[in-house]
Amino acid sequence: MLDSPTTDTPQDEAPANPLTTGSMTRREVITTGGKFIVAAAVSSTFSPFTINVKAAPVKTLSFWQFYAPGGQVGTQSKWFEDCVKAWNATHDVKVELQYVPVQDYMSGSKLQTAFASGQGPDIFIISPGDFLRYYNGGVLVDLTPYMEEAARNDFFPNVMETRIVDGKIYGLPMEVEPMAMYYSVKAFQEAGLSEADIPKTWDQFLEIARKLTKGNRFGCLFETGPGYYQTFTWYPFMWQGSGDIASSDGKKSAFNSPGTIQALKFWQDAIQQNVAPRNFLGGGAWDVVANLASGYCAMQNLGIWGVAALRETAKDFEYGVFPLPLPPNGQAKTIFGGWAFVANAKGKNPEEAAKFCVSALGSMQDDSIQRVVDWCTKAKSDVSPRKSALEKATAEGGYSSAAMKLFKDEIFPTGRGEPRVPPEVYKAVSDAIQACQLGGADPKQTAEEASQRIESFLAGYTGAPLR
Amino acid sequence: MSAPISSGFHFGRWALFLSTALLAILTASPLVWMISAAFKEPAEIFNSSLIPQHPTLENFRYVFTQLPFIRYILNTFFIAGTITVVALFFHSMAGFAFARLKFPGRDLIFLSIFSTFLVSLPVIIVPLFILVQRLGMVNNYAGLIVPAIFNAFGIFLLRQFYLGIPSELQEAAIIDGASYWGIYWNIMLPLSRPILSALAVFFFLVNWNAFLWPLTITTNQDLWVVQVAIASFQNQYSASWNYIMAASAVVALPTLLLFFFFQRELVESIKTTGLK
Amino acid sequence: MKILPRASTRTKSQVSVKSDSALGGRRHQPAHPQTGVFWTRSRKEALAAFLFILPDSLGLLIFVGIPMLLALSLGFFSVDGFGGYKFVGLANYNRMLHDPLFLKSLWVTVVYVLILVPGLYVTGLGLALLVSQKLPLIAVWRSLFFMPYVVSLVVVGLTWKVMLIDKVGFVNSLLQFLHLPGRSWLGDPNLALGAILFVTIWFLMGYYMIIFLSGLQEIPREYYEAAKIDGAGSWAMFTKITLPLLQPTSFFVLLVSTVSAVAGSQAFDLIYVMTKGGPANSTSLAVFYIYEQAFQFNNYGYAAAMASFLVIILLLITIALFALTRGGRFHLG
Repeated sequence: MLDSPTTDTPQDEAPANPLTTGSMTRREVITTGGKFIVAAAVSSTFSPFTINVKAAPVKTLSFWQFYAPGGQVGTQSKWFEDCVKAWNATHDVKVELQYVPVQDYMSGSKLQTAFASGQGPDIFIISPGDFLRYYNGGVLVDLTPYMEEAARNDFFPNVMETRIVDGKIYGLPMEVEPMAMYYSVKAFQEAGLSEADIPKTWDQFLEIARKLTKGNRFGCLFETGPGYYQTFTWYPFMWQGSGDIASSDGKKSAFNSPGTIQALKFWQDAIQQNVAPRNFLGGGAWDVVANLASGYCAMQNLGIWGVAALRETAKDFEYGVFPLPLPPNGQAKTIFGGWAFVANAKGKNPEEAAKFCVSALGSMQDDSIQRVVDWCTKAKSDVSPRKSALEKATAEGGYSSAAMKLFKDEIFPTGRGEPRVPPEVYKAVSDAIQACQLGGADPKQTAEEASQRIESFLAGYTGAPLR
Repeated sequence: MSAPISSGFHFGRWALFLSTALLAILTASPLVWMISAAFKEPAEIFNSSLIPQHPTLENFRYVFTQLPFIRYILNTFFIAGTITVVALFFHSMAGFAFARLKFPGRDLIFLSIFSTFLVSLPVIIVPLFILVQRLGMVNNYAGLIVPAIFNAFGIFLLRQFYLGIPSELQEAAIIDGASYWGIYWNIMLPLSRPILSALAVFFFLVNWNAFLWPLTITTNQDLWVVQVAIASFQNQYSASWNYIMAASAVVALPTLLLFFFFQRELVESIKTTGLK
Repeated sequence: MKILPRASTRTKSQVSVKSDSALGGRRHQPAHPQTGVFWTRSRKEALAAFLFILPDSLGLLIFVGIPMLLALSLGFFSVDGFGGYKFVGLANYNRMLHDPLFLKSLWVTVVYVLILVPGLYVTGLGLALLVSQKLPLIAVWRSLFFMPYVVSLVVVGLTWKVMLIDKVGFVNSLLQFLHLPGRSWLGDPNLALGAILFVTIWFLMGYYMIIFLSGLQEIPREYYEAAKIDGAGSWAMFTKITLPLLQPTSFFVLLVSTVSAVAGSQAFDLIYVMTKGGPANSTSLAVFYIYEQAFQFNNYGYAAAMASFLVIILLLITIALFALTRGGRFHLG
């Protein structure tokens, strides 16, 4: 109880100095304590951070991802758990799974906060779009010395090229996700269309979309929300016209080209002709159940994951798949997504982490190959990144459904990996797409401005080359 | 106004009642979609109809059986409840001091305290995480509870409230020989029931729905709070909106009930000026 | 108050704090040189006050103050997010002033604040006045007004996205029914910010309603009763009694809503869930751009520089408001 202080404060505590009254002394305590805390915090924050554990032997490595344990898709969660169990059974250094909700993993702050405080995960997964951020930060372990030569050659080169710098492999992809177009059979039938009407060119595509836009339904759907996914889905349209972001040595911008301009215009036309909506239902334009299956759109620009998603939540929905349509004189091109296992070079035990990644996905052992097969055809629907796994999966019937067959045989060969670009370049491309698609800007001018932005950034850029 | 307009129930009163009711229903109506989605099957969620064609309780069943959701609710209840009680206590003490007591540097200290309100969590999250880790509060309840207690908002609001209490009350008490603690405990606290009720609801709600800090500070799934659990219903290429809506509907209930029961305190005015 | 006399020849002059006069002066306790009292009333009051503010001050210092200073000081560094720091002086600040995206985000923020703050003030106060009436079922109406705030932002974001979506959304269906053209509320760069503002006000008005409610309760009924006896009408009572006596609360609401609109989580969270800064950067608030730079681009230093810029602006606004209103005390304390 704060009674009259004279009853509480002992007489002999009275200080000699008139300025240091009781209240000042307490304030002094607070200030000194505060100074101490500040000093401690500053020195500990700005000193090279890891709580140095190299002295003590490390028993557990953390593996951060958004599938297990506790992820929603049982098969995917189980795959990760089995993968880790197999390693833990035969190794002293154990791997522990750590689940991070997917939205926060991809665009949130938990991962970055951990890295910034020196507590990043020992093993984690990254998408190609993120590759440069981690590589340029010196966080990725070179996995090549841990891999057999046969295994290195077993991965498809066009899948691996975005994870290779100077001939060294820094990430092991677990899946390949090509993009295509899905359509609703019911919507086609209602508009009096059949498989013969499946569009092969951009103009045909827009025309069909017009026929399918009726009542509450849009003819087609492209991603409209800004983000890595939007640029990812847009790139193939640029490539079809031989456009590209940067020159082949990655030093100059190649963005200001006819291929780029017509791709920007194509997406702009879809919106302005009112055949594509400005917004999507559900979590994003990658959500097939919320958009295509619900009847919101008749065609959706979507990747191979739609097969599994529909299989799981909308079994009765009838759909078809066709390759991306082409511009006049365009070459067939699509894009691959797909996440990769990587090891943290600044983690507790980079060597064991690298060995784990290789043993899980990149060894020639049967279990490693089978694991890739299981992930790509049972837990998810993906094309396999390894030749041996693709063969095995085909033999096991993983690609026998019409859609999967089309992806594997027709779409996959035309694919190119998602480009790895530094964030500033990504933002320039993203702003260009947004301005044209939703802001109605002139594609020519937008391409030029974006190209200048990219050019001036690349002039001062010293990291690994763009791919 | 606090004073009733008239004793009868005439036309003006009816108009007021109807417009209030209409406005309230309109305000809450978008949430009807959330409630209806909680009873729908996944394929139906984005249909335009508000009434599910195949209503189901499966979503609720799933949420409570496939996840230890009850545990997460209890976790969150414990955390939010503790924070609320401690914060109310500390903030009312500080608010009282800043409003009604004189001491050197009062306004400067208050301004410094208020300046902590000028940044939001994402700005300070990295150094805060490092600090909390050094203090050994990662992955335990202390880390979830302690940092969340301290927020200038409550101090500021309580200070403004206490500024509005007539100073004669305090001076009369001092003349009667009350100590400062006595003034705080016996006079100020009882008078601040409206504001404390409001703050109790706010603090509880903010911490009940907290996501970023609990996600960052824990890796142990046993310590999950409800919003983190709900976020786990989103997958890479699909989101189980039906489960999310069902869980969110359940999670919205406690605070709504809290508010419903506390609101009487909110509208009970200080009956007299105390100078009789 | 018991005062134990102590033998002492020291003069007890009050410590004068110069900053006080700018922020609202105080009466100084006159010294008692003859009685030799150590624990004057003002000293006891000061001690009591420090003990009252101790827990919060300590906590805020440790868990907010220090991280804040550390975070903002990163503005002078180039940080790669993986442990690399490089001192770059004012380079980040220089870049910030020439960054068209940052300047655009400042503009978006200004528009946002200029509409949101008055909007929340008017709706919050209006609803508070409405629900402090004794109407039937008023407890239910009050809860319904508060309900939007109770639901998590993920749900709010998705619900409104569905309601506002092109063609099939409820809002557009309603407009079509009324033979009005539907619009893409969240997909049109000219409309998106307005749509976000609408949803934000819908979400927050119950919150400010409650704050105003507690402020209204402090106004003693006798004032209204006396005014009625004098024949004052509702409007006169509102402008002459309610508004003036609500000044501490109004000050609070204006300051807090401004700070939240510029730098707070409430502004950020809704954008993050609903538009991610789009379409075409039209809803990219300053605080969202800062987040993007910090957590997507790994430019912590740059983000810190922008954040400190915002903090300084807000601090200036706060100090100005405090000076104008004598520390928010008005004529009352």
